[in-house]
Amino acid sequence: MILNPIRALGKYSQLLYHAFGALPEFGTYRVNLWQQMMRIGIDSLPIVMLAAAFSGAVTTVQTAYQLVSPLIPRSIIGSIVVPSMILELGAVVTGFILAGRVGARIAAELGTMRVTEQIDALEAMGLNSIGYLIVPRVLAGIVMFPVLYVAASFVGIGGGMLVGHFGGFVPIGEFLEGAREFFQPFDPVFGLIKSLVFGFTITSISCFKGYNTSGGAEGVGRSTTQAAVASCVFLLLADLVLAATLL
Amino acid sequence: MISVRNINKSFDGRQVLFDVNLDIQEGHTQAIIGRSGSGKSVLMKHIIGLMQPDSGHITVDGIDINIIPYAELRKVRRNFGVLFQGGALFDSMDAFENVAFPLRTFTSKSESEVRAEVMECLGMVELPDVGKKMPSELSGGMQKRVALARAVALKPRYILYDEPTSGLDPETSNTIDELIKSLADQLNVTSIVVTHDMHSVLNIADRAAFIHEGRMHWTGTIEDLHASDDKVLRRFVKANEYQIGV
Amino acid sequence: MKISNELKVGLTIIGATVIFILGVRYFEDLPLFATTYELKAEFEDAGGLIPGNLVRVSGVSVGSVNSVVISQETGKVEIGFHVDRNIIVTEGSYAIVTGIDALGAVRLDLFLGSPSAPQIPEGGLVDPGKGSDLLGDLSASAPEMFDKVSGVLDGLDSVLAEAGTMLSQPESDLRRTMSSMESAVAELDALLASERGRVDSIMSNVESVTGSLDSAMGKDGEKVSQVMNHLGTTLTTLDAELARLSSVSDNLNVLLQKLNEGQGTLGLLINDPTMYHKMDSTLDSINSLLADFESDPAKYLGEMKLVDLF
Repeated sequence: MILNPIRALGKYSQLLYHAFGALPEFGTYRVNLWQQMMRIGIDSLPIVMLAAAFSGAVTTVQTAYQLVSPLIPRSIIGSIVVPSMILELGAVVTGFILAGRVGARIAAELGTMRVTEQIDALEAMGLNSIGYLIVPRVLAGIVMFPVLYVAASFVGIGGGMLVGHFGGFVPIGEFLEGAREFFQPFDPVFGLIKSLVFGFTITSISCFKGYNTSGGAEGVGRSTTQAAVASCVFLLLADLVLAATLL
Repeated sequence: MISVRNINKSFDGRQVLFDVNLDIQEGHTQAIIGRSGSGKSVLMKHIIGLMQPDSGHITVDGIDINIIPYAELRKVRRNFGVLFQGGALFDSMDAFENVAFPLRTFTSKSESEVRAEVMECLGMVELPDVGKKMPSELSGGMQKRVALARAVALKPRYILYDEPTSGLDPETSNTIDELIKSLADQLNVTSIVVTHDMHSVLNIADRAAFIHEGRMHWTGTIEDLHASDDKVLRRFVKANEYQIGV
Repeated sequence: MKISNELKVGLTIIGATVIFILGVRYFEDLPLFATTYELKAEFEDAGGLIPGNLVRVSGVSVGSVNSVVISQETGKVEIGFHVDRNIIVTEGSYAIVTGIDALGAVRLDLFLGSPSAPQIPEGGLVDPGKGSDLLGDLSASAPEMFDKVSGVLDGLDSVLAEAGTMLSQPESDLRRTMSSMESAVAELDALLASERGRVDSIMSNVESVTGSLDSAMGKDGEKVSQVMNHLGTTLTTLDAELARLSSVSDNLNVLLQKLNEGQGTLGLLINDPTMYHKMDSTLDSINSLLADFESDPAKYLGEMKLVDLF
């Protein structure tokens, strides 16, 4: 029982080892890379931005609700909302949405290819299936997650600012003044690192789950669920580890 | 020339292949027969290195595919065309793209050359105008024929068929059998057909190998098969004849 | 024209990069496109200044603090900050840390020198200013003030403690003083009660004056001024009466003083038992007189009627 997770970790590392081994064969996955960047990155933009806008707005309203002291200037709302977005929410909201959206999709795709022998067919042709299927997905995750993070943070701050202004909590000018007052230049760098790690975590775990599917349609369903759940769990773990080591 | 020597294989402690030996001669059509779960599909996956034996060796044209590095194995695999049980067409691509895929990936042919060859392959499986259809829009038999076109696109020296007629109606089965025969004649390839369909074996194969409970029970030519008085083999053949008779 | 995946992905990545760089520059208080100008200042006390705090000139944000480090050599706090290149910081400019540390709203206020003076070069040192704003001062001197108040309270406390011990000793001066004061006050009370009669009569005089004023008003309005004059004199009289009352009080005070010292008849009365006995007998005779009066008032009231008629 206790050996199973360790065995899984071993298989996972092996898969990653093969994936990195396939990195130089750019020719085999070039077309796939663009396609995956589209699917993982661009196609996820609307939902990520929607969620980010709402989380920014909610953070503003809640911060305003909790600040009742007349001694504290309203600009503090900006000082709280902006770093929250940049440090945590921008990356984590994106991560959770993509764990569901992208993680499940990758696992279902690869799982179906596995059970219908499409992966075997690729291999039998003499293609490196890991290089062809997994490398472009993981690379797309690493490249596009930071892009989505930037979009999420931008829209989230904007959403928080607009709700603050039109909800009568804090005018835009004061919001930005507060945000600039306490801005730490490392915050966005940390957010970028975080989103990059999340991108790698989610795509690699989902690829691992999908690639090692067995047991027909039921197996695909199992892999898909496991991919989404494991992505979320390891995303939280990575979040904590990064915060503990880099902050 | 493919030779399989003393292959043992087990999954999760359950042994499925016991000391299997088999020689497949150049230019022949070799049938591997046996009941479902006898281990014949597992044997086929060993032949192209999709599975690694626990012990034993498989050599293809004198190259031991179990000890060569992965990059070399992939080169060896390009001598093979494989028709998988369900066709295994890439469902993100239409029929034309599926057939064109190996040509684009492994050759530096121009787009017009690729097009011409794809049309030729689709013509060979008598489906010249399904190019724009997605695999999900094709019937099971058509999917297998497109998959066959894809398998032969690179002009392989060996074609492996995994249950080519299973799940198809008798008429479509006959069509597939005819295709396998004509491909063997036209392209002069060595074919390995894994099946439990004796009807199709008698139609297309030169030689047969009977796997029973993970062991190579009987090998010989089709003529020998008719003459054999092996009880287990006779029972298997008879059960099929009975099925066909109904 | 169909836009290829490569182009879409590329454009998105470029867009994100631009937003990221501009966003970070904006929040770092760097102008989005123009360059900035690095300066330094040394302070004895950074007052809670941290990197990221704003730098203001005349209340306008023009940059922010980059670093706050304690210099190993001088032991002072070295503050690095940047300002917009459009702001010309000349010799004679000075910087002050303002705001309230407790609220976290600290900033660096920059006061520019004369525009004709030479500009401080990139990385140059800006003088630390002497002054500070009122709120800052207040919060800075608050601990000192608190110490003073605390000292005063301590003194008061010890005085009270002393008084407490003195009061607890029966033979102490303070206790004796307190008890004599007590008796003096009681005497004063009694005297005031006896003076009450006079005060009452003054009040009835006022009443009668008001009554005649009333009747005068009723009969003839023209006489009002005259009456007012009367009233004036009456009030003056009242005033004098009150002054006398005051002097009586004064006398009373003196009397009390003497009384305390054991002087005067009353003092003797208190201190000499024989006087008390005489007094007692006198009171007895008064008592009998009163009894007599009660039994046959007409004997005395005959004279009283005469007064009444008047």
